[in-house]
Amino acid sequence: MNRHPLVGWLLLAPSLLLLGGLVVFPILYNVWLSLHDKHAFMPVQAFVGLKHYVYFASDPEFWSSVRYGAIYAGATLVLQLLLGVSAALLLNEGFRGRNLLRGVVLFPYMIPTIVAVILWKWLLNDSYGLVNHLLLSAGLVRAPVAWLGKDHIMASLVLTSVWQFFPFVVVTYLARLQTIPPELYEAAKVDGAATWQRFLHVTLPQTANVLFVIVLLRSIFMFTKFDTVWLMAGEGGVSRYVRTLPVYAYARSFTYLQAGMGAALAVLMFALLLVVTAVYFRAFRREEAAA
Amino acid sequence: MRRTLALHGGGLLLLVIGAFPLAWMLSTALKPSGEIFATPPTLLPRAVTLENFQRLFVETNFLTYFANSVAVSLATVLLTLAVSAVGAYGLTRFAFPGRERVAGLILMTYMFAPIMIIIPFYILVKQLGIVNTRLALVLSYTTFCLPFCLWLLRSFFQSIPLELEEAALVDGAGLGRAVWYVVLPLALPGIIAAGIFTFILAWNDFLFALVLITSEELKTLPVGVNDLFNATIVDWGMIMAAGVVITVPTIAFFVAVQRYLIQGWGAGGVKG
Repeated sequence: MNRHPLVGWLLLAPSLLLLGGLVVFPILYNVWLSLHDKHAFMPVQAFVGLKHYVYFASDPEFWSSVRYGAIYAGATLVLQLLLGVSAALLLNEGFRGRNLLRGVVLFPYMIPTIVAVILWKWLLNDSYGLVNHLLLSAGLVRAPVAWLGKDHIMASLVLTSVWQFFPFVVVTYLARLQTIPPELYEAAKVDGAATWQRFLHVTLPQTANVLFVIVLLRSIFMFTKFDTVWLMAGEGGVSRYVRTLPVYAYARSFTYLQAGMGAALAVLMFALLLVVTAVYFRAFRREEAAA
Repeated sequence: MRRTLALHGGGLLLLVIGAFPLAWMLSTALKPSGEIFATPPTLLPRAVTLENFQRLFVETNFLTYFANSVAVSLATVLLTLAVSAVGAYGLTRFAFPGRERVAGLILMTYMFAPIMIIIPFYILVKQLGIVNTRLALVLSYTTFCLPFCLWLLRSFFQSIPLELEEAALVDGAGLGRAVWYVVLPLALPGIIAAGIFTFILAWNDFLFALVLITSEELKTLPVGVNDLFNATIVDWGMIMAAGVVITVPTIAFFVAVQRYLIQGWGAGGVKG
């Protein structure tokens, strides 16, 4: 049997061609574009150097999009973790119907974003939505709340996103929970540790590693999330109260048709992620090494 | 006793969080227009009707969007599985210098979110002359699924002993037959997990479909339904019916092969 290295390369060629042509090349092309003035549809372009970057440095819209992006990513991350980890701990216990529930809990994550968004827009509808109806009947509010208006759109967006993405935390955290040796809990029990102490001294240290990865991935995914944000708020009206960096980059490129500026925003997005990731690794590296 | 009660209470709460919004969508879709806006709202439809579905199928282009989504998603699954299975086989069964580095670089491309390269991507697709075609969507989805599928299948292929394959070869099978009858069946859970992952990504995508497709007859479900939603007056019954129809294939597909998917999930993790 002849396993010539060249055949290996040949088998890998289609993958490399696609990834090289449709990911690596666009990344490089994006950097090049960010140094040019380019219309999104017309072939006209002119080299402008760092002009776009200089512009964004003092562009209030850019800084507000970074701020909205950070608020959105931060809030959804914390709530996803709380809900996801609690759900995983619950689903790690033995009770009837557990396996069914393990499947059901994944549904929000499997359905298309468009479905999650129209569904929550209906639940949060100010006149006919179920949420307002329940709040009114319980006497928690006096008048219907405009959940999709400018004051509450961010909260509604966070709610929808947490619902949509917490199953990711459940699955990854649960997978790790199942590999914790039961002897560790037995030993803690013998030592007289209460439930919350067992969580604090056994579960948490055992799962520190996977939490490190979950936080990293979820932050990156939420900070670069486009579809949920864009679908929830559209382009006009209240959208400027949830205009995160990905939405701003999209608008620059495809609404204002300034492809060069859009490209510069994409580069800035990547740079921000890189900086935050580096800080994160530095801050938690010791913990990760210990776990 | 108190523990059991707490567990069941928690379980019930989780069930409500996970399933109730979807049940409410189904319930709304089955209500006649008058009942949808009734106060107080009815939990279950008093008079079950399919008129929302009928309006959706007859008065809108929904069925066109649906057919486009099916075609694009299935083509993406086939292409992605073919390309990644062949590639992963090359990565595990052939020793060549730089192999591990190439695998690492492939994984790195996974760190780039589509939104970060959508602009150059659009310009490139336009220059290739395939903007506003299903092919452009299939190529985009395939490319973005590749790193995950290559790594997933690589880990499955690595766990299959080379001796099994060599034994088939000694018995006179050609390499093609050995791979088809020995390697692929053993890697089936991985292949199914990769297939599901790819299908869901292609079925759910909004961004590429929004940017790359302009003509009405080529639109896929997420963009098409968003257009229906943005019509002047929202027809809630019909929109919820659309939501139900889009959700069914995903959940059916998923339930059918859930046990395979969990394995794949353990091996890699999912993006989004």
